[in-house]
Amino acid sequence: MSPLVDGLSYVLSLSHFPFLVIGVAGGIVVGALPGLTGSVGIILLLPFLYYLEPATALIMLSGMFCGAIYGGSISAILISTPGTPSAAATVLDGYPLAQKGEAGKAIGVATIASTTGGIISTLCMIFISPQLARFALKFGPEEYFALMVFGLTVIASVSGRSLVKGLISGFFGLLIASIGIDELTGYARFSFDVPNLMTGFPMLPVLIGMFAVSQIFMELGNVGKKLQRYDQKIKGVFPTWKEFKSLITVIIPASFLGTFIGIIPGTGGAIASFMAYNETRRFSKDPDSFGKGNLAGVAAPEAANNGTTGGAMVPLLTLGIPGDVVTAVMLGALLLIGVRPGPLLFQQNPQIINALFVGFMLAQFLILGLGLAGVKVFPRILKVPISILFPVIFALCFLGSFSLNNSIYDMLVALLFGVIGYFMRKHGFPAAPMILGVILGPLAERELGKALIMSHGDWSTLVRSPIALFFYGISILSVSYSLLRLRRSKQKGK
Amino acid sequence: MIASEIVFGAVFMLLSIFFFAMTFTFPEITIALSPTVFPRFVTVCLFLLSSLLLIQGIRKQRKQQPAERREKIERVYLLRFILLAAAGFLYTRLIRYTGYVVATPLFIAAAMLVFAEKKWYRIILISVGTTAVLYLVFRMVFRVPLPRFGLW
Repeated sequence: MSPLVDGLSYVLSLSHFPFLVIGVAGGIVVGALPGLTGSVGIILLLPFLYYLEPATALIMLSGMFCGAIYGGSISAILISTPGTPSAAATVLDGYPLAQKGEAGKAIGVATIASTTGGIISTLCMIFISPQLARFALKFGPEEYFALMVFGLTVIASVSGRSLVKGLISGFFGLLIASIGIDELTGYARFSFDVPNLMTGFPMLPVLIGMFAVSQIFMELGNVGKKLQRYDQKIKGVFPTWKEFKSLITVIIPASFLGTFIGIIPGTGGAIASFMAYNETRRFSKDPDSFGKGNLAGVAAPEAANNGTTGGAMVPLLTLGIPGDVVTAVMLGALLLIGVRPGPLLFQQNPQIINALFVGFMLAQFLILGLGLAGVKVFPRILKVPISILFPVIFALCFLGSFSLNNSIYDMLVALLFGVIGYFMRKHGFPAAPMILGVILGPLAERELGKALIMSHGDWSTLVRSPIALFFYGISILSVSYSLLRLRRSKQKGK
Repeated sequence: MIASEIVFGAVFMLLSIFFFAMTFTFPEITIALSPTVFPRFVTVCLFLLSSLLLIQGIRKQRKQQPAERREKIERVYLLRFILLAAAGFLYTRLIRYTGYVVATPLFIAAAMLVFAEKKWYRIILISVGTTAVLYLVFRMVFRVPLPRFGLW
């Protein structure tokens, strides 16, 4: 029980617990505000994290991650606009419930479902991660390189509607990653004798620019549009005991489904929540009531999308590969605060892992508490005009970019990537693949270099390990699945 | 109107050619993996993908009927984008000379105006208030040496 006690005493201490609360509360607000997603929230949090202990920073990040996934449901229910992509399925029944005057109950059910999903997925994370980490200790550079290749195939699944544009965005990210000093030889590639380019583009301003600043530019398109708001009075947060008993039979399987989906890289909350919604409707005695305000239609996707949080942390923590966009940004965040995810983290820094596990679990209870207590405040959050919100965030983006290296050049980098990101997103190039390229590119190259050093330059070493071959195999499967899904959705579109 | 795929295809194509050519200027130093390998692989893939995008764009262009123009909306949007980006750029120049405390409220006020904020009291309150809060947190708590004017 000692790790649990260690974790609890760390997280619950007065100098750490407030950061978890701020993380979760901030996550809920960020998730609830349309236009701001979990990724943007994590990026905006980064400049603050840099000044905290790694374990504290990690629990704050986890709070933000879980809170944002839950927060997305609030705007989905109240104004039919999912705050995050993973809350898209919640709109289907959440909004009709709000229109019937049952917004309070819908948010209450979403809160209970999210908490349950989160708790189940955290338990799975706690039990699965150490086992997987132990297995991953056997990995050498060859296996890690194969793993990074697999991580990069996630690009295909986050490419959106055009695979070509997604891949271009990903390779553009890889190209940007190759600017600066080559770790093996020390040669400054593509630096054009500009001193600032010698070390390459700093990761934090690139992330801030691509995700947050470009989003601010995108929001200019909403200037002059009427802000959607929910003006009815919210009452009755809790479902009846009878409703609760029938909902729990939906929530628990959806939570496990979400966790399972979360563990598979290349998936994420949006897929899990739609799958859970469809399955719940299929097994329902009254499938026709879905889409018209069925509480189970809110419970299932919310349990599933928060279920993915703990699941997605498994490959991230044990293998160092992100499962989706948010975890890719999490990986970038972890590297910036000096935590290198992977099996060694479990061996060398067990106190960080203990704190993370306990922090993740407590975050779920905080979601329950803050979610139920804040029901009446949520409609007010949605009333913040964009003319206040985004200028303030822009100022924070600049300050965040500056603060890491105390450099005005970094502010310019954020602005430059904001402009690039804006043009790319406006023309259908998703930002997520580029970020994956920027983060995973250098890691993949480093592992390849190490593998080749150990094999004295023999490239065949890459395909000699059965574990590496396994990862190449599932990389091919992952890309094929994405292609198939894209084709199907195009056929449906026709 | 030229399809955006053609423009982006051409831009990425030129970019990949330029960076590929640049790899030939790298010195011949190899420790297991030459510094040219990774960039060359990436630029070749980028070139192939951008050619594909260019072809897609040309096909789309042929099929496309003269598009209905929502030019007025687009023009206002573009103007706002240019103004906001310019405000951001000027901010990074100004902060060097006037320091954080002077440049930031001006930038926030400018951004609020671009976002069509009309109430002047809000502009003053938010721009000054946000600057004060951020200054307190980053300068006083985190001890970040923010750029400053001689007197601050």
